[in-house]
Order: sequence, then structure tokens, then C-alpha cells
Amino acid sequence: MATVSVAAPAVLHARDISLGFGDDTILAGVDLEVRPQEFVAVVGASGVGKSTLLRALTGLLPPQRGEVEIPRGEATDTRAWSMVFQAPRLFPWRRVRANVELGLEGLALSRAERRRRALEPLALVGLEEFAERWPSTLSGGQQQRVGIARALAVKPKVLFMDEPFSALDAITRRHLQGELADLRQRTEAAIVFVTHDIEEAVLLADRVMVLGGKRGDTPAGVIDVVEVDLPLTARREHAEFANRVQAIEHLIGPGPAAAAT
Amino acid sequence: MKPLTRSRRSLISAQGLVGFLILWEVSLRAGLLPGSLVPLPSSIPGVLWAELIDGIWFEVVLSSLSHYSVGVALGSLLGISVGVAAALVPRFDALHAWLARLLRPIPPLAWIPFAIIWFGVNPSAAAFIISIGVFWINYFASYSAVRAVDPGYNEVAIAFGQGHFLARLTKVSLPAAAPGILGGLRAGLGQGWMTVVAAELFGIPGIGQRMMEASGLLATDIVVVYMLTIAGLYALFDFIFMAIQRRILRWQP
Repeated sequence: MATVSVAAPAVLHARDISLGFGDDTILAGVDLEVRPQEFVAVVGASGVGKSTLLRALTGLLPPQRGEVEIPRGEATDTRAWSMVFQAPRLFPWRRVRANVELGLEGLALSRAERRRRALEPLALVGLEEFAERWPSTLSGGQQQRVGIARALAVKPKVLFMDEPFSALDAITRRHLQGELADLRQRTEAAIVFVTHDIEEAVLLADRVMVLGGKRGDTPAGVIDVVEVDLPLTARREHAEFANRVQAIEHLIGPGPAAAAT
Repeated sequence: MKPLTRSRRSLISAQGLVGFLILWEVSLRAGLLPGSLVPLPSSIPGVLWAELIDGIWFEVVLSSLSHYSVGVALGSLLGISVGVAAALVPRFDALHAWLARLLRPIPPLAWIPFAIIWFGVNPSAAAFIISIGVFWINYFASYSAVRAVDPGYNEVAIAFGQGHFLARLTKVSLPAAAPGILGGLRAGLGQGWMTVVAAELFGIPGIGQRMMEASGLLATDIVVVYMLTIAGLYALFDFIFMAIQRRILRWQP
């Protein structure tokens, strides 16, 4: 487990978040505080509003109610937050390095510094030699790693990840999970990670926020926050790993489709 | 059926063209076609040479090229600008939507009376007529291309601090829509040549006027020389444009 300083000021405060579409509220009463370098996973049944919550936390989709605060800090060469999307969404008209530089443009950096700052995270995800390639020449897994490098390049305080491995095949997914577990110890960013894969959440996170409880017109909310509290090294093989996964599965239940039958 | 190789296809195409010319020549010599109405293909190189030696060919081609270039440049620039703005700014889109619907069906040549009234019988009038046809092609191509840009790219731009209008325009909308915008530009280059001859028929010096003079004298061989000149110039422009387009869109798989 990464060292998380409980005393350090939170890098993300979210209070009483409600969100939905139009008059329809799908998720209500979400509170979240994330500390520096902490890894929080958000899980829940399909359609519960996990990705929508992530968008609300970033401001990409304004919440119906509640407040989100991500302190910017004094630095002019970093961004408060960045994001890894479900699909890599690289700009196909930019070479790999230029894609990673996207978030650095407009910051107080010279051209040379920008280039260096883009190559660092590319090296971190093992793609430095692909810097001058077009995204279309990379595999899906490589593209997603470029997406991670793009997000790390801005040295965010909070890195949001929206089911980043869900579109990948099982082998690549497992490989990238391992890389992320390793990477999270080498980055200063706190991570908020949305996934539908409970094993993935327990494998990577310090805390797992479980969403659910939608009944008829009653919106879903936070059912529980589970502390994983297992060492990151060989976590999957740890005796308690399966218990944590089962506990969360039990909290989520059979899902709305099964519950209705 | 077995697909043809590229060289085999070119060879067959060349055979088709040569066969057509032979059929044309033989039909005239055999008296199947009236020589007063259709020129002998074999006479065309000689007529072209004469036009070149007299300097007429260069004069009329340069004249046409000057108002073609101005018309195409102006029509393309305005068409792309208005099309992109309409696709990005809903209020502007709504403001001009009915006006565009009203003006769009009017063919470029219907503007000739106004072109003469506003500019007189001079190259500016021809450039104006050309620019109208080119404008609409570029307008619709750019509008559709920008509207079709994956909104996910805009979300990425916002997430990485590039959410303001100018950044999204230059870093997302224009590069993402480039294939469609360039398709419009290319179609506009062709449309410009179609309009240039018609625009010159009312007395502006250029290829069209020379063709009208020749047809008045039943010099059909000269008419064909300039028909082929237009075809050649169009092919040359298209070839150059395609090379530039390939360079710009080299990121496409």
C-alpha cells in the first residue's frame, strides 16, 4: 500500500453531490475526500452513475447539487487534475509526443521543457521510442498507455481514470493493471479510478467506494467505503484478497436486472 | 472476376482512349461524321502549336487563371470560414440558416447580371461568379465536417485545459474536420473550372471567350484545343492538390 499521509490536506473535496439528467436524479448525497497519493476506486452496478460521478468531480458535467473543490496550488507548470478516458481518445492528427504535450500547452513551459515533460511519462509507460509515431500505428493497449502518459505529463494533483482498461482484451488489461500498480508508487498524483471490475478495484486501490441502492425513484448513493488495507506487492495472491472482493460483491448485490426478476 | 493490376488497368485505359481517337478519326475520314462540325483529332496538335506560337494560348490561359485563382481563393476562404463558424456557433447557425436556404439554390451563373452591374465586364466580375459556386461547396463541406467531429475530442481538449474557443478551433475542430474540409476544397477546384468558362462567355478575356470566338468561325479544332486545355489544367491542379492533401492527412491510416 502506498504511504498516504492522513494529516496532509485533501486534494479533492466533494460534498453532497447529486447528479443526473434533466429532472432525473440518478445519484445523490455523495461525499468524497481524497488525500495526496491516495488511490480511490469507485465501483457499482452498471448504470449506477460511476462515470457520471467522475465527470461531475472534474466539472465536465456540472452536478445538480453539491460542491467539488480541487485546490489548484501555486504552480504554473502543472494542472490540478487530468483524466484517462475509457477509450484512449488520442488525437489521430498528432504524433504520440504531441498528444502527450496537449495538456502542457498553455502552461509556463518553454518548447524544450514541454518536450522533455512529454518524454518523461512516455518513458514511464515504456513508449519513449514510439514518441514520433502516429497513434493509428499503435495497438489498443499502447494507445491507452499514451493516454496515461498524457494525463501524467501535467503532473496532476488528482488523476481521474474512467474504466481505462475496460475496452482492452484480458491479457492486455492484466498487464496494464500491473503497470498501474507499479506506476502509482512513482507518481505524486492521487487517483480516482472508476471500474465495474471489483477485482481490479481491490487489486489497485487503498479505498473502494461502493455505489448502489437505487430503488424505483430513489437515486443511488454510497453504500459503503471499504478500506482495502493489503500490501500492493502480490496483492492478488494475498489470503484476504478474495474476501475483500466478496465483501464488495455482497454489498452491490445481484444488480437491478437480477433484483427485478 | 480477377482484379486488375495497376499497370494492366492503366494499359487498358490507354487502349480505350487511343481506340476512341482512332474511331473518331476514321469516322471523319470515311465521311460518317461531317468535317465542318467536328475537327479531325490528328489536326489538334498542329492547331495547339499554332496557338502557342502566336502567344494566344498563354494570353487566354493566364487571363483565365488569374480570375480562376482569385475566385477559388475567395470562395474557398469565405465558404470554409462561414461553414466552420456556423457549425461551431449555434446562434450564428440559426441567424443565417434561412438566408442560406434562400440563396443556396440560385446557380452561380444567375448572378451574372449583378456581376456586370456591380463590377462591369471585367475579370472581377468573373472572379465573383466563380467564387459563388466555390463558396457553397466549401460552406457545406466544412459545416458537415465540423459537425461530424467526435464530441469526445472536445471533452479531451477541455480536460487538458484547451477548452476555450480558439484552442478548440485550432486544436480539435479544424484538424479533426480537415479530411472533409479538404474534400470540399478539391470539389471547389473542379467547380471553379466549370464556372470559369461560362463566366467568360459574356466578354471577359480568357479561355471561354476564345472558345466563343472560335465557334463563331466554326473553328471547332480551336474549341477542342481549349476543351483539352481545361481538362489538362484541371488534372494538373488536382494532381498538385492531391499531393498536398496526402501530406496534410499523412496521419490517416
